[in-house]
Formats: sequence, structure tokens, C-alpha cells
Amino acid sequence: MKLREIFTNGIFKENPVFKLVLGMCPTLAVTTAAINGIGMGLATTFVLIGSNLVISLLKDFIPSKIRIPSYIVVIATFVTMVGMIMEAYLPELYDSLGIFIPLIVVNCIILARAETFASKNPPIPSIIDGLGIGLGFTLSLTILGSIREILGAGTWFNMKIMPASYEPALIMILPAGAFITLGILLALINRFTTKVD
Amino acid sequence: MSETWNLGLKLLIITAVAALALSFTNYLTEGPIEEQRIQANMEARLAVLSYAKDFEELGIDDSFTGGDYIMELYRGIDEGNKTVGYTFKVLAKGFGGDMEVIIGIDNEGSIDGVRIGNHAETPGLGAKAADEEFVEQFGGKSIDKPIQVKKTENLDDNEIQALTGATITSEAVSDAVNLVMNYYNQILSDRGADN
Repeated sequence: MKLREIFTNGIFKENPVFKLVLGMCPTLAVTTAAINGIGMGLATTFVLIGSNLVISLLKDFIPSKIRIPSYIVVIATFVTMVGMIMEAYLPELYDSLGIFIPLIVVNCIILARAETFASKNPPIPSIIDGLGIGLGFTLSLTILGSIREILGAGTWFNMKIMPASYEPALIMILPAGAFITLGILLALINRFTTKVD
Repeated sequence: MSETWNLGLKLLIITAVAALALSFTNYLTEGPIEEQRIQANMEARLAVLSYAKDFEELGIDDSFTGGDYIMELYRGIDEGNKTVGYTFKVLAKGFGGDMEVIIGIDNEGSIDGVRIGNHAETPGLGAKAADEEFVEQFGGKSIDKPIQVKKTENLDDNEIQALTGATITSEAVSDAVNLVMNYYNQILSDRGADN
């Protein structure tokens, strides 16, 4: 596969949220606002690139019998580093993403990419795969966050965009709104991307 | 046997390298994180007691019932080291769990400001407690009478309007304010007179 294909694969064909339907915990939990979607997405992207690179470099060193604990150690290390760096230099974002940062460790997208891609491919394609999947994740979370924030709070990236007479539909930023939005988006995407007989 | 040793050794190497990377990151970020926390706490105290130039931490009096919920108490001082008021950080029981309420009481015996710190209230409902619109209701309230939460529009001097759909959160905040009022009246007001 060409690098370009690997990159777009993560955004469209194997979009982690809309196509693979992986990593649902952060997807549903943090997307109450568009900015949270971007923050969570970029933090995950950073971890994906880092863990994909390291796992690709270590693929001949790590015996297959202990690959899962090894991957988890690598991923957990990157997540902890992201958490510490974020708390030190981006405290506001760190506050709003709160407990979801440590949860990146158990985000199955990262383990899935380590297992299906990075452990079988050289370092450069693995980095590109991490970047593509990460940006696909970021894009999906931002779309979900935008829809929920606009309908549920009347704002977009904290800017008021709905007319004052608009009564925000609270349910959209409550957990139920996450399921409703994701369900409708998945249905629409399937409708337009799969051929029906 | 040798394979087991080999696997164990490789895991040991991986975890040791990971630990090294983590301790290095910790070494780099420890200082900035500590500074961020000090800065954020300072800003929160200034927001609820605007006359103060500096703060000095005080211990909590053990004899006070409910004192366990008061996490921090600071004496706000001006340039001349005179007391201008006190700030409290209280751990309130909100709807979603613990919530931090920061309260400032000035020397005149009224509430200067209230801010909400870390909390886990429902977005769009209880989380609105952190908005200016809700907490500014406490500003200027006298500490002579406990504050009551009302759902109606017509409010007396010592009443505040509850957040729509978040009565528990609203009451948690007003309980926290009432708690520090008692603390101030019972323990601090005498000491304030000495200064």
C-alpha cells in the first residue's frame, strides 16, 4: 500500500468511529462540545503515532507470546506522558478532558492498530497509519461534538451561533444525545456508502 | 525453562525502559504542574476576595462541627498585612459527587464571591452552577442569615434562585456557603476583631 492510501484509509475506509466502531467509550463520553472532541482526538493521535512507531521498531524484539502486555506497557507509557505534558502546559484542556486521558490506555483503537498494523509493517507506514487513524478519530469526534454542542447548548466552539430564541435541547449533551447522534450518523453514512440491492 | 526466562527478561527490559521514559517526563513536567496548581488556586482565591493582595494559610479549628468539609482556609491580607477577609475551599456533596466550592467572606461580614472548582455535575444542568449567572447571586449577601434556595422568582435578601432541574446542586452550593458562614461567625469573627 502507498503511504497516501494508508493515510486516507484511516480517515475514510477504516474510520475508527464510523467504520470500525471502535473506541466508543471516549466517543460517547467526551463529545459534549466540539473543542473536547478535538482535544481528545489529538491526544489519541499523539499516542497512536508514538505507540505505532515504537511497536513497529520493536516487532522483532517482542516475542509473540508476550506481545499484548508489551503493547499495553508501551501504550500506557505514552498516555501517561501525554497526560503529564497536557497538565503542565495545557491545564484548561486537561481539566475538561479529565478522567478520559488515562482511559486512552484501554481505547481499543490503539491496541487494534498495534496488533493489525504496526506489528506487521515498517516504522514509516506505521507512523502514517497512526496519523491517519488518529485524524479520522479526531474528525469523527469533532463532528459528533459539533452537532451535540450546537443542538444541546446553542454554541459552537463556545461561540453563540443559534438565535437567542432557540431553546437548547438538553438531551443532546446528556449521554442519550450521544447515542442518538452516533446512531443517526452511522445510519446516514451506511446509507450513502454501501450499495443496497 | 530458558524460554520463560527469555520472555521474562524481555518484559523486564521493556518495562524498565518505559519507567525510565516516565521518570524523565515527570522530571520535566513536575515543576510546571506545581506552578499551574499554585497559580490556579491563587486566581480562584483572588476571584472570591478581590481586595486581598496576598494570602496566608490557616489551620481549621477542630472544635467546629462540619470542619471536615473545609479543605482550605486562607486569610486575605492587604499591603499593610491587615486582614481584609477569608477564603474557604469546601468539599460539597453535589449530584454527581464531590464538588469544590470556593467562598470569600470580607471583613464587613458579607460574601464577596463564590466560585465552583472541580466538579462532576451533569453538563447543561448542575454544571451551570459554575456559570457566572448562578454564583454571582451570592455576592454581597450578608452572613447574618443562612441562605435559602428558592425555585420561585420573588426572592428575599437571603434567598437565591435554584438552577432549573438541578436543585441538589444548588443546595449543595448554598449549604457550603452556610457552613463557612457558621465557621466565620463562630470562630473567625472574634479573631478578626483582634487585628
